[in-house]
Amino acid sequence: MLEFLILNNIVCHAVEAMLFASIACSVLGVIITQMNISSIGFTMTHAAFAGAAAGIFFGLDGTVAAVLASLTIAVILGPLSEKARMPTDTILGILFGMMMAIAIFFISYMQYLGTGVNTSSLLFGNVVSLYREEIYALALISIAAVLFVLTFFKEITAVIFNKKIAEAAGIRVRPIFYALLFMIAISVSLSLNIIGGLLLYVWLVTPAAIAYQFCSTVRDLFLVAPLVAATVSVTGAWIGLQHSLPVGPLIAVVFSGLFLVAVLLSPKRRVPKGE
Amino acid sequence: MRDGTINLAGVSTAYEGSDRPVIRDISFTITPGEFVVVGGPNGAGKTTLLETVNGMLPITRGRATVCGLDVASRGYEIRRRVGYVIQNFAFDPLAPFTVRDVVMMGRYGLLGYGRRPGEEDRKIAREVMALLGIEDLAGRPIGKLSGGQQQKVLIAQSLVKRPDVLLLDEPFSNLDLGTRDFICGVLDGIADEGCTIMMVSHAFDALPDREVRVLVMNDGHLIFNRPCRADEVEDHVRTLSGGHHA
Repeated sequence: MLEFLILNNIVCHAVEAMLFASIACSVLGVIITQMNISSIGFTMTHAAFAGAAAGIFFGLDGTVAAVLASLTIAVILGPLSEKARMPTDTILGILFGMMMAIAIFFISYMQYLGTGVNTSSLLFGNVVSLYREEIYALALISIAAVLFVLTFFKEITAVIFNKKIAEAAGIRVRPIFYALLFMIAISVSLSLNIIGGLLLYVWLVTPAAIAYQFCSTVRDLFLVAPLVAATVSVTGAWIGLQHSLPVGPLIAVVFSGLFLVAVLLSPKRRVPKGE
Repeated sequence: MRDGTINLAGVSTAYEGSDRPVIRDISFTITPGEFVVVGGPNGAGKTTLLETVNGMLPITRGRATVCGLDVASRGYEIRRRVGYVIQNFAFDPLAPFTVRDVVMMGRYGLLGYGRRPGEEDRKIAREVMALLGIEDLAGRPIGKLSGGQQQKVLIAQSLVKRPDVLLLDEPFSNLDLGTRDFICGVLDGIADEGCTIMMVSHAFDALPDREVRVLVMNDGHLIFNRPCRADEVEDHVRTLSGGHHA
């Protein structure tokens, strides 16, 4: 898609993948951070991670297995927390531990068996050997995430503000919430190979947290978070490949550094003179 | 024509995922334009009663209708015609929501999916903010307002849908006397226009000077249901709650 700008095919694919993954994750990240349900993103990420590891072990396509695993978590999350009569956070904590254990089990076992399968991209991501189909899939999910926010902007805004108030206003909160879970599940699964299961959470949370330091409206958050995410990810991918640096960790470190700077510079935290 | 009739016939309600009813076998009829005060001790089921009327909790027994609509099957339609001001709200001072945003949210359910608020919606929001004296705060972040101002914003949010029924849960908690009297006057005017008002409150000195219906809840049961003068409400509730009310 961007071959007319970047002649090197590997760099071009890496930049495209990072661009689309960062847009999808950061747009959805605004919703989950504002709803204080970041642990859902965390659990979904590790469900995709576990699904991919198990899928590879059983000879399936890692991405398809990741999508299935994270969708399963998305489907069972609501009913499970209702049936178990426990706080959603506790359920998420248990699921997260379970998913991490499954992922580590299969990765360790494959290493022990010497299957020759390289699982490091599941952990740390890999932007070098990407298939064109993977990039198209990421482009589609990033467009879907943006369309989701544009179509249901007022409903999402109300749900972010307060779920109970949104419901009392006559908004159907549950379909919006499940659509959000569905979008997160697909986005993190498709981004897993590029960013890695251990770092993906950074893309979901940190750009939104950086934008939050400067934005005073929800609309601005949805504009600034993907802009920050895309700028840092694309620049990081380009610089990382030029200098043979690990791209995912490099971008994650830059995100974290930017967050600290944003907190220090945030006009929201400035105390007005005279107070 | 407003139809704020509320009818409950042998209604029991449980929280989602639980089989144990929180309110049991509640029956009453409220006619359009009535001003209802719900009293009773802590944990009596007052908030649960409001959420039942608003269709936010599953009805396990009996039948409830609000505005002529069945609560169990048409909860979303009811919530588009019923304003509900929740209790115990707390907003992050840095939250990215202005007063204008929050008030306008009250219209979202009416608009339906895919439709953005138009000039008519904005006009109604401006009128309601003016009614509550918060038009000057329209551009301010809600998290940075005082408790009383935030309460006015939430009442404005529930009024922009031009409700047939207005449910309020402890609307006078943490308000100074002046703000209480002001809001009480606003509610009195709304009831005069035919809107049914159902309010959980223990601020019985902040009631409009009119006949009100008193419902007293205790341990999930409705133990008192009678119209009386505003100045008699406190005596009834205090006596029936064993000297305690909240």
